[in-house]
Amino acid sequence: MAAASLPAWRRLQPGARTLRAFSTAASPTTLPGNPRPSTTERTSRFDRPPRRKALPPRTEKMAVDQDWPSVYPVAAPFKPSAVPLPVRMGYPVKMGVPMAKEGNLELLKIPNFLHLTPVAIKKHCEALKDFCTEWPAALDSDEKCEKHFPIEIDTADYVSAGPSIRNPKARVVTLRVKLSSLNLDDHAKKKLIKLVGERYCKTTDVLTIKTDRCPLKRQNYDYAMYLLTVLYHESWKTEDWEKNKTEADMEEYIWTNSSSEKNILETLLQIKAAEKNLEVTKEELLGTKEIEDYKKCVVSLKNEGDSENTLSQYKDSVKRLLNLT
Amino acid sequence: MLKGVTRLVSRVHKLDPGHFLRLGTQAPQSLAAHLDNQVSFESPRAISCTSENDPAKHEEKHEGQHYNLPLQDMKTIFPHGLPPRYAMQMKTFNEACLMVRKPALELLHYLKNTNFAHPAVRYVLSSALDGEKGTGKTLSLCHIIHFCAKQDWLILHIPDAHLWVKDCRDLLQSSYNKQRFDQPLEASVWLKNFKTTNERFLNQIKIQEKYVWNKRESIEKGSSLGEVVEQGITRVRNATDAVGIVLKELKRQSSLGIFHLLVAVDGVNALWGRTTLKREDKSPIAAEELALIHNLRKMVKNDWNGGAIVMTLSQTGSLFKPRKAYLPQELLGKEGFDALDPFIPILVGNYNPKEFESCIQYYLENSWLQHEKAHTEEGKKELLFLSNGNPGQLERLCAYL
Repeated sequence: MAAASLPAWRRLQPGARTLRAFSTAASPTTLPGNPRPSTTERTSRFDRPPRRKALPPRTEKMAVDQDWPSVYPVAAPFKPSAVPLPVRMGYPVKMGVPMAKEGNLELLKIPNFLHLTPVAIKKHCEALKDFCTEWPAALDSDEKCEKHFPIEIDTADYVSAGPSIRNPKARVVTLRVKLSSLNLDDHAKKKLIKLVGERYCKTTDVLTIKTDRCPLKRQNYDYAMYLLTVLYHESWKTEDWEKNKTEADMEEYIWTNSSSEKNILETLLQIKAAEKNLEVTKEELLGTKEIEDYKKCVVSLKNEGDSENTLSQYKDSVKRLLNLT
Repeated sequence: MLKGVTRLVSRVHKLDPGHFLRLGTQAPQSLAAHLDNQVSFESPRAISCTSENDPAKHEEKHEGQHYNLPLQDMKTIFPHGLPPRYAMQMKTFNEACLMVRKPALELLHYLKNTNFAHPAVRYVLSSALDGEKGTGKTLSLCHIIHFCAKQDWLILHIPDAHLWVKDCRDLLQSSYNKQRFDQPLEASVWLKNFKTTNERFLNQIKIQEKYVWNKRESIEKGSSLGEVVEQGITRVRNATDAVGIVLKELKRQSSLGIFHLLVAVDGVNALWGRTTLKREDKSPIAAEELALIHNLRKMVKNDWNGGAIVMTLSQTGSLFKPRKAYLPQELLGKEGFDALDPFIPILVGNYNPKEFESCIQYYLENSWLQHEKAHTEEGKKELLFLSNGNPGQLERLCAYL
């Protein structure tokens, strides 16, 4: 109805039209998207181009096997009309579903990696190949890489468009090395671990040194190598005060010369004395199979903590030692 | 379930005085008659209770069954040893029934085969790895004590070592050793109970050394241990030293073979833990500075023979230990473990299905479970699920039903 009245309006005389403009007819407001021209502006309505209807979104025209990197060649905000996925995001109201992607601010706020699909990355790699050298053919397995190049250096370079090409984050250097590839004996290894403290990971046996105290990357790398050299040489040296190491400093439980050993020897000696078997000496007792067993059980109990397994083993070994049925 | 429980709680509260009055005044025979009038309870009694009341004769086949301890014995053997909830249950049912369980049977077996010439073996009862508290360690210890009492051993029972390291009112500086502290109240209470338990031994054992209390009083060599105990009870100031003397003499003399000594300590992890006691200048006192603890530590060392040492670990009542700690090393700490090594750890776990069934039957017989669904299979499954077979938890749950 309103659409039919529009062309009728067009045919009206300009004079009659201006008369209409002053009247407070309801039709101007019923026409969608056709704001009433302000009285100061005298552009005629039919001079302005008609407003276009919204086109269908681009997703409807996308083929399944299209070239996605050309849709998102660079990092761009999420465009719901360009991403053909029925993504929903948002906290749903009661008995509702999360909001759809059209006009969804949440999807706009979060970072998206639509420009870094595996296909896109493959293309980047292909382009970068021209600038790379060949991987050495001899290093075809992880173990060989470990063996020949035990030290791994991680650095990061930052490129951004801005007034300056420098980025202070670029000076950080991380040095990773496995302690098994270093030539360390038992004492040296324990001393090194104590010296580095938090930087050593027990499960992966990797020492990580992260340096950023110098202003340049080159200087930080030199400093990290220097630290590694110093740690290695210092851990091989034994100082005078190291012989004051107490039981509390020990990393793991050592059975020889412990109170457990003393207790068990005393007990056994008393048992032997009760049986009038005084010829047995300490060394003999220490050599028996039961004591070996007991020693293993106590060490595992102390080092690994209590568990059903360790406790029952300990119980059995004590029973055998004390000759209980 | 919860609504039902709350309604029942209010019902039981109203019913309480009358219900217990009925049980208290009527003799057990009329109770049995009353029970017989309802459904026949012959078979449950056979499952849950055994007539073998001598712990020495308990064997594998009695496992899971309750046996009756005569109430007269309870007063002498356990003046201070029972867990409070069990004592209440004893008063309610007017009988003391203990369940025979595997850990206790194991310990009994070891004790029966003890070689008294060898140094005392240490046994530590601790929670098994699927249960924490309330698994029955203290009651297993009571079972052992009953056995040893029947076998005429001398019982040295410390009901809860944690009571000696916390909340002590008077701390005196020890007259014997200036660095240590005395606890007169705790020591005198313990001496009274010790006297009740071991009355008959006190006159037989003679001390072998002269001890001087102070300038005017002393105890001569050859006088009986009973006199030392009397002195400790009457003169509260010297109570701690009296305890020390008792422990020393017992240790020395049990090696001679006159009697067998059972040292039973509940909550032994208190001996090597921290205390909450402070000196006048608010500095904390370490456990070894308490004379009672010092002497007790010497007692649980295995340098004497002629008996056995049975101990339990307990987290409830322990100080400064996290609630989830129940493993021996966690509760004892490094010092405690080194001091007790070598020991035999005995794990006490939750009820297995047979024991659970037996416990429920026992409660049903004593009309403790009043809920109408308590004797159905579903009700039992529900109780099993809620309590996870934990004896302490089951007892608390059944208290509401």
